[in-house]
Amino acid sequence: MIKIVKRDQPSRAIFFFTPVLAIFLTLVAGGLIFFILDFKPFEALKFFFIVPIADKYGFSELLLKATPLCLIAIGLSFCFKSNNWNIGAEGQLTFGAIVSGGVALLFYEQEGFYILPIVILAGAIGGMLYASIPAILKTYFNTNEILVSLMLVYVSKLILDYLVVGPWSNPEGFNFPETRQFSDSAKLPLLFEGLRIHAGIFLALAAVVISWFVFYKTYLGFQMKVSGFSLKTARYAGYKGKKMIILVFLISGACAGLAGVGEITGPIGQLHREISPDYGFTAIIVAFLGRLHPVGIIFASLVVAITYLGAETAQIFMQIPKYTGQVFQGMILFFLLASDYLLFFKIKFIGSKK
Amino acid sequence: MNTNLKISNVTKIYPGCVANDNVSLEFNSGKIYALLGENGAGKSTLVKILSGVIIPDEGKIYLNENNLKLNSPLDAKKNDIGMVFQHFNLFETLSVFENLIIDSDEERESLREKIDTIMKKYNFSIDLDIPVLNLSAGQKQKVEIIRCLIRSPKVLIMDEPTSVLTEQETSELFLSLKKFSEEGILIIYITHKLKEVMQLCDEVAVMRRGKLVSVSEIKNENIESLANKMVGQNLKTIKKKKAKTSSDQLIKITNLNFTSEDPFETNLMDINFSVNRGECLGIAGISGNGQSELFQVLSGEIISEKKSIEFNNNYIGDLSPQERREYLMAFSPEDRLEQAAIPQMKIFENVALNNFKSSNFFNNGLINENKIKEHSKKIISDFNVNTDNIELKSQFLSGGNLQKLIIGRELITSPDLLICFNPTWGLDVGAINYIHETLIKINEQNKSIILISTDTDELLKLSDKISVINKGKLSKIMNAEEVTSEKLGILMGGAN
Repeated sequence: MIKIVKRDQPSRAIFFFTPVLAIFLTLVAGGLIFFILDFKPFEALKFFFIVPIADKYGFSELLLKATPLCLIAIGLSFCFKSNNWNIGAEGQLTFGAIVSGGVALLFYEQEGFYILPIVILAGAIGGMLYASIPAILKTYFNTNEILVSLMLVYVSKLILDYLVVGPWSNPEGFNFPETRQFSDSAKLPLLFEGLRIHAGIFLALAAVVISWFVFYKTYLGFQMKVSGFSLKTARYAGYKGKKMIILVFLISGACAGLAGVGEITGPIGQLHREISPDYGFTAIIVAFLGRLHPVGIIFASLVVAITYLGAETAQIFMQIPKYTGQVFQGMILFFLLASDYLLFFKIKFIGSKK
Repeated sequence: MNTNLKISNVTKIYPGCVANDNVSLEFNSGKIYALLGENGAGKSTLVKILSGVIIPDEGKIYLNENNLKLNSPLDAKKNDIGMVFQHFNLFETLSVFENLIIDSDEERESLREKIDTIMKKYNFSIDLDIPVLNLSAGQKQKVEIIRCLIRSPKVLIMDEPTSVLTEQETSELFLSLKKFSEEGILIIYITHKLKEVMQLCDEVAVMRRGKLVSVSEIKNENIESLANKMVGQNLKTIKKKKAKTSSDQLIKITNLNFTSEDPFETNLMDINFSVNRGECLGIAGISGNGQSELFQVLSGEIISEKKSIEFNNNYIGDLSPQERREYLMAFSPEDRLEQAAIPQMKIFENVALNNFKSSNFFNNGLINENKIKEHSKKIISDFNVNTDNIELKSQFLSGGNLQKLIIGRELITSPDLLICFNPTWGLDVGAINYIHETLIKINEQNKSIILISTDTDELLKLSDKISVINKGKLSKIMNAEEVTSEKLGILMGGAN
């Protein structure tokens, strides 16, 4: 007989095991879907998860996709850990990209070592500005940050659209919706000849280290932890709730803004309509799959990045629609939430007693 | 018709604890039975087994010789076992009538008649068409009782029913219970209040650490004998010496008001009082009359006008809890698990919640873990917290030990004023005694206490002055010697 029993306490081992289980279940379910759609499941999974990263180029692409995911997810974990539900990282990414792109365009055809730092900083500030809107509305007007941050995503995309079609569009660009190319001094340097992986990865790694330090070694991290468990306790302890809400939103916005910088000053080198394949939304999955732990987020961002690459490879080689990638991302989150049940309950197999 | 309920060799084991160890008991209708025990003695588990919430590992339940299979609360209801829990299971925004019919499949009209008959019979007067949130605690309890009576139960189990009632409501309840009993309903009354057992019950079963330790008739027992059976040792009685009369004023509240936007909270109206050094001011009241709001205003979780609170010659009404702590105030909230401490965090992390500048728990924004741990060890040994592992998550502490940790955390910095809210709520007698002794000791050291409590006995034992809060208003402040529990009960009920 199978019996489901409540655990006395959430198991630490299970806490890190369920993400692995979720990924496994996603693979099984994915295989099943391929089978139903009349693709050979194992071959499809191979094209999805192995072929894309089998060579040097593929591995560089993996890191390229994982970089913004990791950076945004780290930022989001500041919010999520402290009970603030910032769903609008995609908007903060876009607005960060707009501001840094605007600054980069100011330095059009100029060279100088000082340009890149200014462009990067501008992106972070842009993201922060955009994240401060839901934060301020939440703290002073009691609005729901989920709705505000989410709706602002679409606003930012429309602003970007307007700029690249209208005032910022390339005068020599035959009316293509894109800006001029940034000067080389405004671009993040590539790490290896012939590969697209760029210096943005160091920003992500720095964010990982800094966030780990803040979460586990600082008063701010402690306050975030307390607020995450119980806002009542945080109030009783006397933490300045409003200040913290604004701070975590700013950090989160800065990270998303930096991810935006990485996208436009890295491989693309200009602003155009679609600078992000919804990294800001997918990073929410990454943050939870990584258990809001900096190291977990590194692994999670690599796993989720594969679904982006796999979708493209599978489309090219097997004519599987690339939106299957999103199906996989959705399934990961779904199975993660489902297997979190095991955190609080365990399954006991009991032999019949008689 | 006679009802006979038999519990036979019931055992329920949780990891690390035997909640019920081979318990056998027999009840017959016509009598009121008390099930007495400290918190954690296993009485709740036993009752939950009877009401189908928990399934025992071993043992059987017989009702009139029939072996009952109680796999869910519904099974218990079907077998005519009614249960009124300590915490009400009512929908606040639905009307009384809607709450009563919610788990019934009978016709509305016939139910309404049935309810009217029940109310007439037992002299209950409740408007069936107003939302439950407008009812007093006593009335809500009556709704729960009616809900059971609709099903004409053979057995009625009451779990700590008086914890939210006034004296008057309690005696009304006792009258009703006696009436039910005369009509042949078997009553099982769960409590840790000895006085009530003596007043109400005919037989008493005492449990301790999961075991049944004695079954006896009330006429052969007295309060001391029951207390000793319950705790398993002879208890010393605590008495407070009369405080030295001091006129040195420590805190003064003037014209304090609080208007809440939340309809479920109580507004505070024109609160005025003062507390001298070395004094304990008790604030009595039925829960939900503004105690929680008053506590939050005093602790700084709710900010008020600067001049409404004067502490040690400083106006502090607009300061946060943390800033008030710097002025040597300390706070022990009612809710141990959701506010005063975080069960998922370790003991030493919970200690860091009370953060003074001089404690140096956090230097330049960094956590000073060694300092916090050192401090935690001192609290654990000074306040008899029963563990030596400060890395333990605090969810593994019993209620009593957690409360000792919280009180210890608040007191180790020797504050001038401790504000506590139901500090012994849900604790066992041993822990209650310890907390009471500690509070008396504070007063002896010329420190002051504001004790907000719903436990009248506790207030009479510890306070020098007592006031009653009712619907957000404070009664005049009385000297504790002039007050009796009857008088408090009348004030708590809202009379002047």
